[in-house]
Amino acid sequence: MAIEDDVLVIGGGLAGATAALAAADRGAQVRLVSAKQSTLRHASGLIDVLGYAPAGDGPLADPFAALEDLPAGHPYERVGGEAVREALSFFDEIAGDAYEGGHTDANALVPTHGGTVKPTARYPASTADGLASDDRDALLVGFETLPDFDAPLAASHLKAAGAPFEARGVTVRFPGIVRDDAKITRYAHLLDQPETVRTDRGETTAREALAAVVEPHLEGEPRVGFPAVLGDDHADAVRADLGDRLGVDVFEVPMGPPSLPGMRLEDLLYDALAERGVRVTTGVPVVDYETAADGPDGNAPPPIDHVIVDRNGTEIPHRADQYVLATGGLVGKGVESERGRVFEPIFDCHVPHAADRYDWFVDDVFGDQPYAQFGLPVDRDLRPLDADDGLEFPNLRGAGAVLGGYDFAAEKSGAGVSLATGYVAGQRAAEERQ
Amino acid sequence: MARDTAVLVLGGGSTGCGIARDLAMRGLDVTLVERGNLTDGTTGRMHGLLHSGGRYAVSDQASATECIEENEILREIAGHCVEETGGLFVQRPEDSDDYFREKLEGCRECGIPARVLSGSEAREVEPYLADDVKRAIEVPDGAVDPFRLCVANAIDAETHGARVETHAEVIDLLRDGDDIYGVEVRHDSGPGKRTHATPGTTEEITADYVVNATGAWAGQIGAMADLEIEVRPSKGVMTIMNVRQVDTVINRCRPKGDADIVVPHETTAILGTTDEEVSDPDDYPEAGWEVDQMIDTLSELVPILSEARTIRSFWGVRPLYEPPGTGTQDPTDITRDFFLLDHADRDGVSGMSSIVGGKFTTYRAMAEEISDHVCEQLGVNASCATAEEPLPGSENIERLEAGMDDFGLRSPVARRSKQRLGSRACDVLETDEPNPVICQCEGVTRAEIQDAVSQSGSDLNAVRIRTRASMGNCQGGFCCGNMASELHPTHDEETVREALDELFQERWKGERHALWGEQLSQAMLNYALHAATMNRDRDPASAGEDVDFAAFDGGRPEGDRVDGPRGAR
Amino acid sequence: MSDAERPTDGGVSGDDDFEPIQVFPEAEEMDLRPGADDCYKCSTCDTNCPVAEVDDEFPGPKFQGPEQWRLKRQEDQDVDDSVMKCSNCMRCDSACPSDVPLSQMHNTARGEYVEEQMDKFSREYVRNRILANYRRLAPLGSMFPRTTNFVMGLSATQWLGEKVLGITSERELPEFATETFREWWTKRGGAQVTNPDKRIAYFHGCYANYNTPEVAKALVRVYEHLGYEIMVPDQHCSGTPMFANGMLEDARRSAETNVRELAAALEDGADIVASCSSCSMSLRQEYPELFDFDGTDDVAENTWDAVEYLRVHEDLEAELEGTSVGDEFDDFAYHAPCHARNQGLDGQTLEVLAPIDGVEAHDVGDSCSGISGTYGWKAENYETSMKIGEEMVDHMEDADAETGLTECPTCSMQMEHGTGYEITHTLEVLEAALVGTAESTATGANAQ
Repeated sequence: MAIEDDVLVIGGGLAGATAALAAADRGAQVRLVSAKQSTLRHASGLIDVLGYAPAGDGPLADPFAALEDLPAGHPYERVGGEAVREALSFFDEIAGDAYEGGHTDANALVPTHGGTVKPTARYPASTADGLASDDRDALLVGFETLPDFDAPLAASHLKAAGAPFEARGVTVRFPGIVRDDAKITRYAHLLDQPETVRTDRGETTAREALAAVVEPHLEGEPRVGFPAVLGDDHADAVRADLGDRLGVDVFEVPMGPPSLPGMRLEDLLYDALAERGVRVTTGVPVVDYETAADGPDGNAPPPIDHVIVDRNGTEIPHRADQYVLATGGLVGKGVESERGRVFEPIFDCHVPHAADRYDWFVDDVFGDQPYAQFGLPVDRDLRPLDADDGLEFPNLRGAGAVLGGYDFAAEKSGAGVSLATGYVAGQRAAEERQ
Repeated sequence: MARDTAVLVLGGGSTGCGIARDLAMRGLDVTLVERGNLTDGTTGRMHGLLHSGGRYAVSDQASATECIEENEILREIAGHCVEETGGLFVQRPEDSDDYFREKLEGCRECGIPARVLSGSEAREVEPYLADDVKRAIEVPDGAVDPFRLCVANAIDAETHGARVETHAEVIDLLRDGDDIYGVEVRHDSGPGKRTHATPGTTEEITADYVVNATGAWAGQIGAMADLEIEVRPSKGVMTIMNVRQVDTVINRCRPKGDADIVVPHETTAILGTTDEEVSDPDDYPEAGWEVDQMIDTLSELVPILSEARTIRSFWGVRPLYEPPGTGTQDPTDITRDFFLLDHADRDGVSGMSSIVGGKFTTYRAMAEEISDHVCEQLGVNASCATAEEPLPGSENIERLEAGMDDFGLRSPVARRSKQRLGSRACDVLETDEPNPVICQCEGVTRAEIQDAVSQSGSDLNAVRIRTRASMGNCQGGFCCGNMASELHPTHDEETVREALDELFQERWKGERHALWGEQLSQAMLNYALHAATMNRDRDPASAGEDVDFAAFDGGRPEGDRVDGPRGAR
Repeated sequence: MSDAERPTDGGVSGDDDFEPIQVFPEAEEMDLRPGADDCYKCSTCDTNCPVAEVDDEFPGPKFQGPEQWRLKRQEDQDVDDSVMKCSNCMRCDSACPSDVPLSQMHNTARGEYVEEQMDKFSREYVRNRILANYRRLAPLGSMFPRTTNFVMGLSATQWLGEKVLGITSERELPEFATETFREWWTKRGGAQVTNPDKRIAYFHGCYANYNTPEVAKALVRVYEHLGYEIMVPDQHCSGTPMFANGMLEDARRSAETNVRELAAALEDGADIVASCSSCSMSLRQEYPELFDFDGTDDVAENTWDAVEYLRVHEDLEAELEGTSVGDEFDDFAYHAPCHARNQGLDGQTLEVLAPIDGVEAHDVGDSCSGISGTYGWKAENYETSMKIGEEMVDHMEDADAETGLTECPTCSMQMEHGTGYEITHTLEVLEAALVGTAESTATGANAQ
């Protein structure tokens, strides 16, 4: 017999987790199935809602004001502005102290590891003291063995971007790192435990040693920023400890991939899933589905009866009343392509695209890229539509990057769309279960 | 009147760099000017085949003989640019037995070592060959890195006193009556490309003798002095696979045709090519069907190619030439031989020769012949040494390959670094500073990037061709920012930002032709990283509009903060 | 290169019988470079690697896998020696969002390294060979279990193990049962239920046979209770420890037997179930990645985790609803083994135990136990192994339970080593709930 639940969410990223939490909140028995790990670890951990209008205006100080003017088919337009606000509140509740930004409607400007700034609506507590829209001077610290963040260059770049404070950058050696290709989790672990490291002054903890390396570079700046490697499970303690030792506020500049802030967000979401009784099956893909014999009436498409999960070659049926598809876009592999077509691999839902692949892109790398908008068109209930605007399935909803009609990278809207559509899809799925 | 230089070479491709090195080694004062980067023209846009001569063994035996001679010389003098892969001419069941026999006989007549392998023997050499491959001829084809070879020639020319000026476009030939005595160049307007000249300025460079080695662009240069040079540029597409499906050069054994060669090249395999005449070497269509043809046709030889990931495609323009009146219709029938056009003999205009036609494998022999001609014109008596003197990086190469130090690097990274740097590896990689890998796809460390920056300034494309950084599967998505950081603080932030944008755009140019499957996922990830995570697409620093920072969230108001007031700890 | 095979398969008694052999004759054919096509460099694998997190000498799975393979030319033989630091937990496999065959790449590279670069007379090689071939050592131990347990426990023996072989003396070697599972099975007269419609072939693996037969017996009782006919085919080691040590030729020999025997059981209408998560992982994933005997794919596709099989083929939830386990078990600190996680089974145990009254299982998080089979037994890895396991041990101690629960024998060793708790297998809990305690049924079973 199949493994049974009320709502089955396919995909374990921000949209999938939000959908599962929202459905569980409405009393449904929910299972989340995730093939491998999601793209949360690729992203910065910031919760962007809308930083630029689709036409490019921005950075937008107020993301909500611009929500009303989005083109038809944009996921925000599908769910409506109010749902976006509700979803953000839902997120704020789940995240608690781990995220900030909820005290205002305004976007914050956050320094990026590339050196510039970007607008975002919610940011991890670890970044709260690092806002570029905060006018306190800052010292940025980079590490010789971590080329992804060049602190002196980032400081000059912030100045060029017009940031309203003095930023300086220094590059130091990270105590306790012995190999030049150590992974970011290694840096985090040294500080998290903290491990004991050997320095010129004998053996100390990695936190103490790092503070000692940075201290001589301080010139009175009230805040000091590091690349986002300051601990994993105990990130708050690491920051507080470094801050105490240096007498400053300590913050992280988001990075990725791989992204520790993204991993921490993932942990936060999965803890919430466990707390709310969502059953989680990870590491195995949904590969196929079966529909019921008939639809509710003669003309309507038949509902999905069950899906097939592939466990290392063994096919395990999973049945639910309602399904949420949150498998991601081109990066998460919820949307795939071949030389002649773009498709959704599990249910073969319709993905609009030009027939000629040379019309999938434009020549300017940062131009209006059609490929960036590949994804499923949906109705206002987030149910995928076929080429004739009919429903693909009555009991399937889409959420997150698997949806089309928006360019999250240009708009800086990725997390917001995942939250809003995940929230709505999860709620509706729970409401409609038999 | 004293001239700026004895010989002015136009064109920084293999021919131009080869001539510059040859003449500089003979003791002449040489200046080379190149419109863009070294290898930007045809040299950097070839499939990387070091011909054994097998491809010409039936149709053009003179070229075939020359190829095998030069092939053997390059293995000696440019060992660090050459990989001795060997090559196969593969016959499928539908390919002609007669032609196979002609090919084999042709090879033997030209002194090209050739051996017949059965189908199963060929598959033992290359397991991914199609099951129905009938048999193959094994020849000493090789793979060569044209960038590294060209740069090595330029470095050695500089060592012998030459001036090599890149990003200097010839905008006029200086002609006095029937004598050409130099050129006017415009230095590129991009900041910090090279330190020799101020960007945006023009410069007249006078010379006793000018060598026009601009290949497919020779006609355009000639026209500046009203000389007609009948170059017939012919384009060909090349598609780069993410990994090497083969370690041997695979040729289709049939008379002629498109899509008949796979060359293992560094970490990739290159599929080639087509042959289609174009009117303008800078402006011609690049079409998807050409890429499809490479994959579909070559999958007949190596079936795994049909499912494999391509990372980009590019087109090159052959500088084909044939003497006026030959009238060949099909560009594939035009000879691959080269022509030295002395404009004094040909047009009654002294002071310049043009070199057209020819092929990469024989660049050194061409350079030697032209250098002899130049010396004769200038009355200099000096002989050529380029066939004996190893290029920088290829001195005592066998000692390096014997093993020794890994410079604290993981062994595959050390191995690749040594394969690229040759005998310079020790000088470049020996460092007390941390030496993290900057480009993970290709295994390029900070020390190697810094070495390239010291040669080429802030032009990251010049760093790229020297190191291969950003030429792997992420096509720079993950490393080009880190490459740019290596320019700082020697170069200022604005220069770094522009150099990064230029490299990122250049990588996209080729990646566009591979946008499906894994590479489309990669492109989206790159785009998300650069636009969503870093906001490089809407960077206020580049947008030119001031941002009102005060209108944005500046953090939670003082009193509301959970962790107490700011800076109070 | 020598084609000489080791003369016999037996004799692991510590004599110097380890001649250089061609461990992996098909190494030349294993070109995994095309597998690098799937990598888009996101480093998700690296962030899941428990070794790279505590030891930066290990450069992580992305480098060891797709990057190292992509940089390879046919004639390049050198594999970076850090591949031996990989613990083969295979977490990278279940992490990669882009389906890179990471553990296949690691297994193959490790095989090449051991074959091409490791000194066959080195202490490391000999030690690894012994650890990898635990199954050959085990029959001796279980022939004279009391003596062996006594000798193994002597501090002099442990000191010798550390000094001579580099096997850590920090750990106590596992005890051998006085009666192996197979001995018990034979004694009781084999299967007690006949049912052509519900038939399984049980792959018990080495550990449940020699060391924890109570797990295997629990499986028998649970399955027979639900009306299954059980077959116990001849079997060798699943190969997991051999893969982890790059001893691919040893693994091949074992796998050949296993595939042959299990394929025959499939012919007889049985599905295959395993109680050890590493054994099921090996049959399901590593066999088809590394070997192609006749029937390899069939065996892989029809192999199940023992509990998963019941979930799908029975209404297990209804069977368990309202059952209790009496006094035998209280609450559990549950650790999901990496190899169960790779099969998507990390949430299963908690879900299955939920309907049973009186027990609660607390998940101790998604960290790796750190022992990873033979990895944590090596003296040079002991410290790293304990560092990796620290998080799990902390969480076990924080959990409201005094007993550990897991499906992997080596994880259970680490759990016990770290906390001193007694460690149970999920099947034993199911047995208590469905059939009654082991003690009460044991007499009955023997009596029949």
